[in-house]
Amino acid sequence: MAAPQNFHDNPLIRKLESVFMLTDDERLALENLPMQLAVLKDDQDIVREGDSPSRCCLILSGFTCTYKVTKEGKRQIMSIGIAGDIPDLQSLHLKVLDNSIGTLSTCRVGFITHDDLRNVCDRYPRITAAFWRETLIDAAIFREWMLNIGRREAYNRIAHLFCEMLVRLRAVGLAEDHACDLSITQGEFADAFGLTPVHVNRVLKQMRADGLIEITGTRLRIPDWDRLKEVGEFDPTYLHLEQQDLAA
Amino acid sequence: MRFTFQPIRVATGFDEEGMMVLDEKQRLVAVLVRLSDDNEVAAGQWYLEAGFGWLDGGSHPTFSNLDLAQDWITQRLAHRAPA
Repeated sequence: MAAPQNFHDNPLIRKLESVFMLTDDERLALENLPMQLAVLKDDQDIVREGDSPSRCCLILSGFTCTYKVTKEGKRQIMSIGIAGDIPDLQSLHLKVLDNSIGTLSTCRVGFITHDDLRNVCDRYPRITAAFWRETLIDAAIFREWMLNIGRREAYNRIAHLFCEMLVRLRAVGLAEDHACDLSITQGEFADAFGLTPVHVNRVLKQMRADGLIEITGTRLRIPDWDRLKEVGEFDPTYLHLEQQDLAA
Repeated sequence: MRFTFQPIRVATGFDEEGMMVLDEKQRLVAVLVRLSDDNEVAAGQWYLEAGFGWLDGGSHPTFSNLDLAQDWITQRLAHRAPA
């Protein structure tokens, strides 16, 4: 367990500081970023594939997913966004979005205009570097998901994602010991794992019976962290956290 | 195309009864499993546990009865069959 940290109130700063050291000036500039606040219900699209947004969406609380849908209507979730993430940051540089982003749970979000983001990046080149680093880490997460979905068995695949979620949530102060809130349904997990809800349900039952996870409502507790990491072949290197002990 | 069903127990780890689905030439095209009545996701439904040939892949729908399962399989195979 990592030593308790003083997490910043602003989720964006918390997130960036988990992967990049910010100076006081940079922190202040980020704190002063103008934001249009909104509360979104679950299962809402924030942006859709083909959109050309003029703003980015910072998640303040809740869970989002990045997804694409086949012609037949089958959805593949490619990543899960948590507080502090800006899942459509790429829209700052790519004119047309090639994926959709939707809410998995009720989310509080802050919309930041591209102009304001460009402005803060112009004035603080290290903030640009921090966003770049964050984007590179997002790509690393996509690579890890590809391995996970493409090559790991369902049992190990699910274990891996639970490990990732716990470590990422802990890095922004949203997990205690080995427990976190994970308000994501089995159907949504199925879309993220490339499995059916029936299969996910069976595997979760098996994992519970094996003492790997405990789920009470939306609360996930991991009684044996080392074993879950082993089952999920979880190596947190790809998350590139500043404090490695967050993944311990 | 007509299919026949043959009961089979399937070792899913949850003691579920299933059906082998055979085509007119007695070839195995799919295995359906009847999910238990207390299943959290699709209680009492028939689940396409495994499909072979054109039915092999990411689609594992559930059906409320075997007729609907047969319709779906027929449609899939007709759609996929070479001209």
